[in-house]
Amino acid sequence: MISVGDIAPSFTLKDHFGRSISLDMFKGRRHVMLLFYPLDFTPT
Amino acid sequence: MEALQNRFLAANTQVLGVSIDSIYCHVNWAMSLGGISFPLLADFHPKGAVASSYGLYLEDAGIDDRATVIIDADGVVRHVSSVTPSGKRDIAELAALCEEVNEAHESTLKSFPDPPGLEADTVLFVRSNCMFSTNAVAALGNLHIDTIPIRNVSEDPAALADLEALAGKGQAPCLVVGNNSMHEAADIMKYFAERTTDIGG
Repeated sequence: MISVGDIAPSFTLKDHFGRSISLDMFKGRRHVMLLFYPLDFTPT
Repeated sequence: MEALQNRFLAANTQVLGVSIDSIYCHVNWAMSLGGISFPLLADFHPKGAVASSYGLYLEDAGIDDRATVIIDADGVVRHVSSVTPSGKRDIAELAALCEEVNEAHESTLKSFPDPPGLEADTVLFVRSNCMFSTNAVAALGNLHIDTIPIRNVSEDPAALADLEALAGKGQAPCLVVGNNSMHEAADIMKYFAERTTDIGG
């Protein structure tokens, strides 16, 4: 598992509107909170 | 779910959901929750690759852990926690953590440009029993846009006639904006998101 203080691994993934979202696009603009979760259609 | 996003945006924090599900699974799940406009990312192919790079992919189960990572605007990890797949996140606690991260950065952050919004003469033509039409309509639902007329060419002959006149053919889904028409559901979904949210592709 990554740790506090690490440089976050970069990524680019498609979102549910088909946009490419990358971690880099938020640099200097916003903090990012990644909510990893097991599966859609399961309790949140 | 959606109230969540505003609370975190107030602390200059972008919420991104991540699971191994596909885009189209996300679309429908988001709709079943009343519409989700913050990005749900499809870590679908290769399955779980991003979760793996964070050490949060549960190899044996083939799913992601229920875990939260807060990354500051410099790209540095400021918080990592797992509540296990069956656990529940403490949203209030996470919001407080994001506010704390934001305090050190707030003055130096640049904002995203405002999105252009949708044109006044935008109309979405759809047909019945068509998953592409359903996905285009779902994108509007997930973005909470209720100002775009949706016309069903399967049920309404006048809508079909108008579509043929505007786009030159009766193929739906079709998004008509002024003199331009767009037929690919994927393009329509992306267009709606890019025009109405500030993190356009």
